[in-house]
Amino acid sequence: MAGRRPGPRSKKAEIEIARGQETRRAGGRPRREPIDGDRKLDRLAPIALILPAAGLVASCDGPQSALVPRARQAVEVAALFEWMAWGAVAIWAAVMLAAILAVLRPAMRGGSRRADRLIIFGGVVFPTVVLAVLLAAGLRLLPDWGDSPARLRVEVGGEQFWWRVAYARDDLAVPVRTANEIHLPAGEPVEFVLSARDVIHSFWIPSLAGKMDMIPGRVNRLLVEDPQPGVYRGVCAEFCGTGHALMAFTVVVHPPESFEAWLAAEARPAAPEALREGPPDAAAEGRRLFLDHGCGACHPVRGLVEAGDVGPDLTHFAARATLGAGLAPISRETVADWLRDPQALKPGARMPGYGALMSEAELETLADWLLELR
Amino acid sequence: MIRGPIRIRTLAWILAGLAVLAVVVFAAGLSPIGAAGGHSAAARWILHTAMRRSVAFHAMGTEVPDLSAPGLARLGAAHFESGCAPCHGSPAAPTGGAAQAMLPPPPDLAARIPLWTPAELHRIVDEGVMMTGMPAWPARGREDEVWAVVAFLRKLPELDAEGYRALAHGGPEGSSRGLALPADPPFADCVRCHGTGGRGPDDDATAPGPIPRLDIQPRAALEAALKSYAAEARPSGVMRHAAAGLDAATLAGLAARFAAAPRDPAAALDPAGVDETLLARGREIARRGLPARDVAACDACHSPRGERVRDVFPRLAGQRRSYLEAQLRLYTADPPVAGGPRAELMIQAARHLPAADAAAVSAWYASRAPAPR
Repeated sequence: MAGRRPGPRSKKAEIEIARGQETRRAGGRPRREPIDGDRKLDRLAPIALILPAAGLVASCDGPQSALVPRARQAVEVAALFEWMAWGAVAIWAAVMLAAILAVLRPAMRGGSRRADRLIIFGGVVFPTVVLAVLLAAGLRLLPDWGDSPARLRVEVGGEQFWWRVAYARDDLAVPVRTANEIHLPAGEPVEFVLSARDVIHSFWIPSLAGKMDMIPGRVNRLLVEDPQPGVYRGVCAEFCGTGHALMAFTVVVHPPESFEAWLAAEARPAAPEALREGPPDAAAEGRRLFLDHGCGACHPVRGLVEAGDVGPDLTHFAARATLGAGLAPISRETVADWLRDPQALKPGARMPGYGALMSEAELETLADWLLELR
Repeated sequence: MIRGPIRIRTLAWILAGLAVLAVVVFAAGLSPIGAAGGHSAAARWILHTAMRRSVAFHAMGTEVPDLSAPGLARLGAAHFESGCAPCHGSPAAPTGGAAQAMLPPPPDLAARIPLWTPAELHRIVDEGVMMTGMPAWPARGREDEVWAVVAFLRKLPELDAEGYRALAHGGPEGSSRGLALPADPPFADCVRCHGTGGRGPDDDATAPGPIPRLDIQPRAALEAALKSYAAEARPSGVMRHAAAGLDAATLAGLAARFAAAPRDPAAALDPAGVDETLLARGREIARRGLPARDVAACDACHSPRGERVRDVFPRLAGQRRSYLEAQLRLYTADPPVAGGPRAELMIQAARHLPAADAAAVSAWYASRAPAPR
């Protein structure tokens, strides 16, 4: 704490200059003479740090933000974060105040005993208490699984690089299977049952709850209570391979009646117009391509082929908002692109490309047929 | 002490002079490279010792599979007839003439085989021998084929002309189990392994072995496979040698010829002799795949019933068990030993299939009766 130390600070400012254009717009000039420029850069440093931060704050809103909580668990996490953040600000201010006082008034009255007491209290007792309180608050957020209030259980399996989803409830004879999109009834508690088959993934819907790892060989559970209607985004929050960054999903929280309608629709077999065998038209041709190329070896389409269970269930593929686990909106073009060369869109995707095995016209016919699977 | 530096300098001059002389001889083309004169005794000793030591060294630690497996030596013999006998000769037709004028002359194998262990023979057949005219095996990763040749080579010293013909041709020359052999060259080559009816050696669909049945396959699947072999996309030393140099029309004609052969309704494997739990496991994998291991359902493309399946996909029902197992080993190898337009489908479908399950699903398909045409 021996006064101003221009060295490190000016270095930080240099980095900011190199990174952001804001500084230049705010009056910074291209660095010509490092020694001369140091003082000016020193003054600019706080602005250079604050401007990008302001940009970050503006992006805290949106469908994937832990700072805009939309379910009880997320509210608790956000509240804990706010306590922690403001507490940290207060502690930081106190430490800075102490540092300034130490500089302005080097000789402290009261001698070394008072200094010892300050160090023991401020350096040992206070941090211990703060960390213990934070630990207690964090542990309190862990759910008590003694009596789960949830009737609806959503089983989510992490896969490289997509999500296997099944809905289980006492009144459902068999779980309703789907993939890459999660629908929930607003206001009702939901229990996520999380697992993985290949590698460790992590299930995170920042707007609804904290993240939870999906670990091969074990089942983790996550409770979400009182979700508010809206459309949110979930992601894989644990690096799981080359396609990790493109492993997302949409979460739709419906009013309860419309959730029931959605669940009933999802439980039905594929749309009859997509299953029809003849007359020989585009739909029948798409169906033939799907079967002829063995797509059913991996993708179930209930009512047509249920042999394979390796890739995402496509029974109601076109009812989803996105393709390839949150990769792109579903359209004839994006579906045909995906069929042609999945690895070009998502590195490491397990699906083989069909660009060399089907003509462009066939790819489009198959894409059109997949769009019938509503 | 005084003379020392002078002697070293003289030596340096001599060495420099020799180096210049060597460069002049080399660049002017004065050194003989012809095969007519043979090697000097010293060169022969050096080359031969280097070869023997290298083969022995690199063969260390090689695991030798069961060389008495049914049909293995038969495959090796049939390939030997077209791939090796032209230079090395065979008990049925000793070589001579041009091949024996090579340097070194291709050895008479019957006398040399006993000098090598199976692992060393494997090394020589797989890697070839530099600057001798002995080629490497034409496909990398096909150890299984190399072992078939080794299995045959181990039998070679005891074979007379008739025994050799029985193994390589399936009977006296010009016949296959009494059937007249076709005279047209490419088809006659196929017949040594696949039989005139495409059922396999001697046209016996139920004899076990590594050679696939062709009578169960649709024409499109045969043609696609032949073209993949000819284009060197699908690795196989045996099939690369057989299909190389044949034009597309000839390949299509061969495919059509085998596809038109009557289909033997017998399965390659009698299910009565196979463990029931193994077959049940195989059936489960064929129908459902192994979702937990990302293994796709085989039937979706290779359905034994033949419905809903395009003819480019090979049929598996009734195919030989050891052929299916060997192919699955190639697809699940790391990296996979596979190629051709649809190889990626099989690689993705089978990459995590455990060996025990590959054996189960192979037994299941082998025990199924092929669908009638």
